[in-house]
This record gives sequence, structure tokens and C-alpha cells, in this order.
Amino acid sequence: MLNTTQTRTTFKWGKGAALALALTFGMALAGCGNNAGSNAAANAAAASNGGNNASSNTAAASASASTDTDSSSNTTAASTDKKLTVYSAGPEGLATKLIEGYEAKTGVKVEMFQGTTGKILARMEAEKSNPVADVVILASLPSAQGLKDEGLTLPYPEAVNADKLNPDWSDADGNYFSTSASALGIAYNTKLVKTPPTSWEDLTKPEFKDQVNIPDPSLSGSALDFMTGYLSVKGDSGWSLFENFKKNGVAMAGANQEALDPVITGAKGVVAAAVDYMTYSSKAKGEPVDIVYPKDGTVISPRPAAILKSTQHEANAKAFIDYLLSDEAQKMVTDAYLLPGRTDIKADNRANLDEIPQFKVDWDYMNKNGADITEKFTQMFK
Amino acid sequence: MKSLSLKSFRAWSIVLALLVLTVLIVVPLIEIFIQSVYRDGELQWSAPFRTLANSGLVQVMLGSVWLGICVIAGTTVLALPLAWVMTNTRIGRWKWLDVVLLIPFMTPPYIGSMGWILFMQKNGYLEQLIPAMSHITPYFFTFGGMMLIMSLHLFPFLYLLLRGALERIGGSMEEAGAVMGAPFLYRFRRIVAPLLLSAYGMGAMLIFVKTIAEFGTPATFGKRIGYEVMTSEIHKYISSWPIDFGKATTLSSLLLTACLLMWYVQSVLSRRFTYSLVGGKGSRRSALKQKGLAVWLSAIFVFLLLVISIGVPYFSILAASTMKLRGVGLAWNNWTLDYYKQLLTWGTPSMEALMSSIWISLAASTVAVVLGTWFALVIQRSRSLSQRSVDLFSLLPNTVPGIVMVVGLILLWNAPWMPVHLYNTYGMVILTYVILFVPYTVQYVKSAAGQIDGSLFQAGQVFGGRSFYIFRRVMLPLIIPGMLSGWMMTFTIASRELVGSLLILPPSVQTSATYIYAQFEQGQVSLGMAMAVVSVGFTTLMLLIIESLGSRRKWNA
Repeated sequence: MLNTTQTRTTFKWGKGAALALALTFGMALAGCGNNAGSNAAANAAAASNGGNNASSNTAAASASASTDTDSSSNTTAASTDKKLTVYSAGPEGLATKLIEGYEAKTGVKVEMFQGTTGKILARMEAEKSNPVADVVILASLPSAQGLKDEGLTLPYPEAVNADKLNPDWSDADGNYFSTSASALGIAYNTKLVKTPPTSWEDLTKPEFKDQVNIPDPSLSGSALDFMTGYLSVKGDSGWSLFENFKKNGVAMAGANQEALDPVITGAKGVVAAAVDYMTYSSKAKGEPVDIVYPKDGTVISPRPAAILKSTQHEANAKAFIDYLLSDEAQKMVTDAYLLPGRTDIKADNRANLDEIPQFKVDWDYMNKNGADITEKFTQMFK
Repeated sequence: MKSLSLKSFRAWSIVLALLVLTVLIVVPLIEIFIQSVYRDGELQWSAPFRTLANSGLVQVMLGSVWLGICVIAGTTVLALPLAWVMTNTRIGRWKWLDVVLLIPFMTPPYIGSMGWILFMQKNGYLEQLIPAMSHITPYFFTFGGMMLIMSLHLFPFLYLLLRGALERIGGSMEEAGAVMGAPFLYRFRRIVAPLLLSAYGMGAMLIFVKTIAEFGTPATFGKRIGYEVMTSEIHKYISSWPIDFGKATTLSSLLLTACLLMWYVQSVLSRRFTYSLVGGKGSRRSALKQKGLAVWLSAIFVFLLLVISIGVPYFSILAASTMKLRGVGLAWNNWTLDYYKQLLTWGTPSMEALMSSIWISLAASTVAVVLGTWFALVIQRSRSLSQRSVDLFSLLPNTVPGIVMVVGLILLWNAPWMPVHLYNTYGMVILTYVILFVPYTVQYVKSAAGQIDGSLFQAGQVFGGRSFYIFRRVMLPLIIPGMLSGWMMTFTIASRELVGSLLILPPSVQTSATYIYAQFEQGQVSLGMAMAVVSVGFTTLMLLIIESLGSRRKWNA
């Protein structure tokens, strides 16, 4: 009773404080988001234009986008569209070098997300309603075929040097370009394995009991390529190999590097369906590992790059593809112990394409059956 | 008049809190629910049930729950004696121990598990040090080993809650018992245990929820022994091709139900067994300090605990981070500091990752503390339905696996109709961390505020203190330790948050956690481990500084 009014004023203050708190929070977030908000607005504006001229003429598209969003600034297309977002799977060092090379050449600022093929696809799925990536580089051809089939890719048949690419690995209509590839083999610890296996069946022998890791096909696109590729050649009878693997204590162990790491440290002896470039680079460091390609054949896993149809930076994205196919970028690819995507370039630090026995795989079959085979395989090896 | 305006302020504050919580937490979760029934562009109400009917899922669910229960047992065995030792013996005077004991919790679970694996595996560090141990190591790669790793990771969390509660109980009640001739066990059973129950229930619930929502250990260690839990299944559907949000969200709803059930049981327990402990007289430490043999036993216990919870994993982490060639193993000529040099060079991606980790976590923990304190004060003792709703909503992020919450947030903030474009900005990262970790502050502040006796406020009013004055001079000092704990927790966990960061960080931005993860993916295990050492070292240092500031300014509850 004594101080009712005072109490009320304090509560008003309290009220205000609560409100201020909420406001500050909101504004702080909005402040953080501001920059992006305007970007997104720019993108949305560009999208509304871009939809109308899917039939190229990108300069006009980006020019109109720039006038829509930022009429006060310099309106030449080149000066406003200096951005590109790339989602890249595979060796980080290589991805960083490629992007630095491209930035130096074009002056475009590249934002990169680095992850495994599975992570990139998951992120794209999450962003479906508001796509961010302009270009994706994946480590699995069937995934790129999947993107194409869903109509998410932007064809770029006139890419420079596209004619020099291995035609088996890339899309004839220019929806995706395999600018590098890795071959799958049997990696082994040279301290533990004195006579390396020479065929896939060798891994079912008693001497390799409980010694073998195999990457999880749901996490490793290349491992999945091996399984689908092997089955596309052998038919359903091919499953007997994996059944025998399981009987011999083969363990399914995460993505490629997680499967290889225990072999480097000596906890396991062998990785079946190991990505060769990882083994080569560990070997180059001096780790006690090496790789063999089974005589009966193996699968090569191409690493496709594709422009996404939702891109707001079409010209930059195309220039990026051109860069990936250039001599300079292909040299970086071979330096990372990967197989070059172009047939006219050879690597001198690793086995080249003609030295690796290959299965005659059926990529269509692989694309169609990937999900089922993943399911069956992971159930089997649980 | 007075009570009217007081009431209206309270009501207004509750409504606002509910509104904020709805937008931040409930709507994203509803998005998840919508995803679980909205498949292939059409509404399919039966879809979740079809997923559940899929055999094997029940097994996975039971596996999760069993793990959760076992880890509660494991953490109790570790944390309860520790909390007692730290409040009742001279060992408790070593303030630095409190910070050191947080290290296991600050170690990212997947790093800790990795450390254990490297230590115990075939040809691992233990076998390299003591070859005779090779008979024993296979036994580690079992369910027991997984339970041990997770308990060792989570026990500091329970310990902090229990210790706080024990300190608030103070010495006088136990002394009263002692004066009446009650022996130790009787005093514990009849005095301490009942008073501890509410804090313990809260802690146990959070341990359970953290365990079944944990992803790092199942992903590294669980995969190794073939023990599957819900999170690993959910993660599989969310991050590997073919992506199936529908299945993932259905599984999450199942997980959510289990956690809500847990929450309900805990809230019943806590309402029934909460006592006002902080009275006007102020509390002091018990005079019943243990001496002699008890102190020695306690010291041995603490020492052993430190060896297995910190010594073993950090031996592995440090060894791996200083190894030239991992294939060579432990050898003096295989030792190098190159990875640290590479890591700590200014301007490198690793340094940038470290810096962005620090500032994002600082921002997030500060916002989270402010929001969390507000929610906790609104909740009070959750008497009314709306208060209980605030309680429930603010704890939801802790009951949903991080990855599910994050997917919900992405679905919401990246929706085409969303006017504020937060996605792919730092704002999104901060928002995500705030939402994921706000329950910590809520819990700590609630626990602190819940035990303040109303008589303190009445006393303040009797002496003419205005409401804000009472809040500032009575309430605030009493809840500040809770706020500080919440802030510290949020900062440490945010700075190592992985699963959400992997999905939500804008391109080109890395935090220390995603950097470590990327190094493991790239085969640079040593570099990743070096980063783990640096980032955990930094947070520990920061906590030590805060702790020393805190002890100079005593907030005596």
C-alpha cells in the first residue's frame, strides 16, 4: 500500500526490460542476417528474371538482376556478379587449390562447402526450397546422374576441353563433367601383409580373417560404386563374394578415411574397395601402406562436377567448369594422386588408367540399384 | 492494486516467453512433424507408422534406452562420490579441480572416443606400452566399453548439479543429525538423499537425454562394436544418400516421446521433492570435515577418476597429435610439433576456424544466458499450465537430438516464405547454438532459483524493497552462480558443437569442430588431434580465468 505507484513503475521498467531484451535479441539476429537478407533479395530478383531466359544469354540475366537490386552501383554485369558457391567432395587440399586458382584467374570470390558426397546431397536436400550452391563436385557418378534425372542440372555442352574428357564418365549433353576419378583397390599395411592379395576372392582366405575393413556404401560414394559395379558385372551371384567377406570377418567401417586409418595404425591389415588416391598420399608421406588393383578387375569411380539449374551466377559457374577442365586444374588433379578426367593427360605419381584392370560396368544399372544395394549391404554387414 | 500489476506483469512475461519459444523452438519441430507425414509432395498420415512397423527399429530404440539407463548408473557411480568428496573434504578447496573436472565434458565425444579407440585397439597405445595387455583390450570393445566412455564424458555434468545441491543443503542440517547421534549412512539416507533427489532427478534426466541424443560416441565407437542407437539411424537417413527426412523425422518423434516421458517423470519427482533450502540465515560449510583415512581414500578416488577420464583419452590425443607417422606408433624419433606450428600460423584456415569458433560461441552463450535466465524465472516452480509449457518448450532442444532440431531450423529459416533470411549467415549459426544450448541455463538457473525460500523476498518487501531492488539484491546474487554455470556450459559445448555446425555453417566458414572432423575425413588425424588439444586447452584456460575471478568475488548462496 505504501508504495503502490513506485511498484508499478518498477514493473513497467521490468516490462520494458523484457521487451527490450526480446527486441535486442531479434535485432542482433536480424543484424547478423542483414547482409544475407540483401543477398537473398538480390538472388530472388535474379531468379525471377532467370526463369524467363533459361535459353542462355546470361549476361543479360545478370545485368538485369544487378539493375533490379542495386541500381546505384556500377551496372556492368561483370563487376556485380563476382560470386560463386561451390559444394565440393573429395580431397580438401585439391578443392582449395582449384578454388584459389579459379579466383586468381577470374577475380570471382568463391564460397566453398566441403564434405562427403552424402553430406553435400543432404545439404542440397535441406536447401531445396532456397538453393545456395551454384556448382557441385561429387565423388560418385550415379549421384550426378540422379541430379540430372531430377532436372536439377544446367547443361553446358560447349564447355572448353569437354571433348577431351573420358566420354564414359561424363554426360553427352553436358549436364556433368567428370574432371577427375579414383580407382578402387585393395590397400594394405606393408608391415602386416607381406604377400598382398591379388584378387577380391583372396580376401576370403583364412590369412585375412578379421583383418579386412570395407567402407560403408551409405557414406562412401566410391565404395558404393564398387559394389554396384561389381554386381552389375556378376549379377545376383556376385553377392556370394560379399557373403564370404562377411563370413571372414570383414568389418564395415565408416567412410573411406575411417576405413583406411586403422590400416595405417596397424589395427587392421587391409581395406577392400579403398580409394586409391588416399592410399597414394599416405604412402607418399611415408606411412606403411600400399595398394594393389585385383587382376580380375575393379571399378573406377569418376568425380563429376555439375552446374545446378538454380544458379544465380551462371556465367561464373560455366567459367568454373572451364577452369576445372583446363591444363592447370588437371595438373592439380594429378598432383593430388587422382586420375585426370582428360584422356590426354597422364599422371606420373600413380597407376594410370591403362594400367588398371577394369570391370565393364553398367552405369545405368548402378544408378538404378544404388539404394537397394546400399540397403542390402548395410543390413548384411551390421 | 499491487498484486494486480504484479500478476499482469507475470502473465505478460509468460505470454511473451511462450511466443518467443514457439517461434524459436516449437515451429521448427512442427516443421519436422510435417515432414514426417508429408511424403513425396502429398499428405500420408500412415507414413510414420509404416516406418515404425519396419522391424529392427524397436530393437534400435530399446538399445538407445538401455544405453541411457546404463549411463545414468555409470555417471552416478562417478559423480555422486565426487560431489560428496568435493563438498565435504579438504580436497574441495582446490578450486582448479572444478575446472579440470570439466575437461572430459569439454572434450568432443567423438574425439574422446577416438582417443579411447586409439588407446585400446589392436596395436594401440596400450599394447605398445604394455604388450601383455593385448589379452584384455578386446574386452573393451563391447557394450561395457561404450557405457564407460559415455559415462566418463557426461559425469561432470551430473557432478556440477549434485555439488551445487549439496552446497545449498549446507552443513547445518547434517550437523543437526550428527548432534542427534545419527551415523553417516543414516544421515545420508534420511537427510542428504531426500534433499538431493530433485537435483539428482534433473541431472539423471539430462544425462539420459544427452546419452540417447548423443551422436559422436555411437558414430565412432558404437559403429565399431555394431551397437546401433536411434541417433546413428537418424543421422544415416539425414546425411547419406538417399536422403529420407521422412524416416528420420519419424524416428525423431519416437525419440522425442521417450524423452518427454522422462521429462514428465522428472518434473513430478521434482515438484514432490523440492525443498526450500536457502533461507534467511545463510548457510555455511559443515564443520563435519572429513579427516585422515577418508581424505586419503577420497584423494585416491579423485586421482583415479582423473587418470581414466582425462589421462587416457588425452594421452592418445596428445600422442596422435605429435606423431610424424601414424604407422610407426609410439617412438621417440617419431615425435614432432609440426602440426601445432601448421595449426597456429596466423591467417591459415585452422586459425580462422579457431577464431570463428570462439566468437560465435561467445555470442551464442551470452544470448543463451539472457534468454535462459528469463525463461527460468518465468517458469518458477511450474505451478500453472503456461509455466509448465514454458518449461517444456525451453527444454525441448535438449530432448531432441541436435541433428533433428537443426534440420527443423533449416526447414523453417530457409523456407521461401520466410521474410528474414538467416540461413547461410552467422546469425543462423548463433541462433542454432542458442536454441540448442538454452536448456542448460534454464536448468541451472531453475535449480538455483527453485531452492530460494520465498521468505527472503518477503523479508525484502517488509523492509520496503521495491520489486526490482529485491530482484537485484536478493534474487540476482542467488542465481548468478547458476547463470555463470549456464554460460560456461554453453560456451564450452557451443565451441565444440559438431553435428549442427556441419549442416548449418555458411560455405567457407569452419569452426574448430568442423575443422577437426574435416581433418579426420581427409586423413590428417594428427592435425585434427592437434586442433582438439588447442581448442580444449583454450576453453579450459578461459574457464580457469573465470573461476579465479569468481572466487575473488564470492557469491555465497
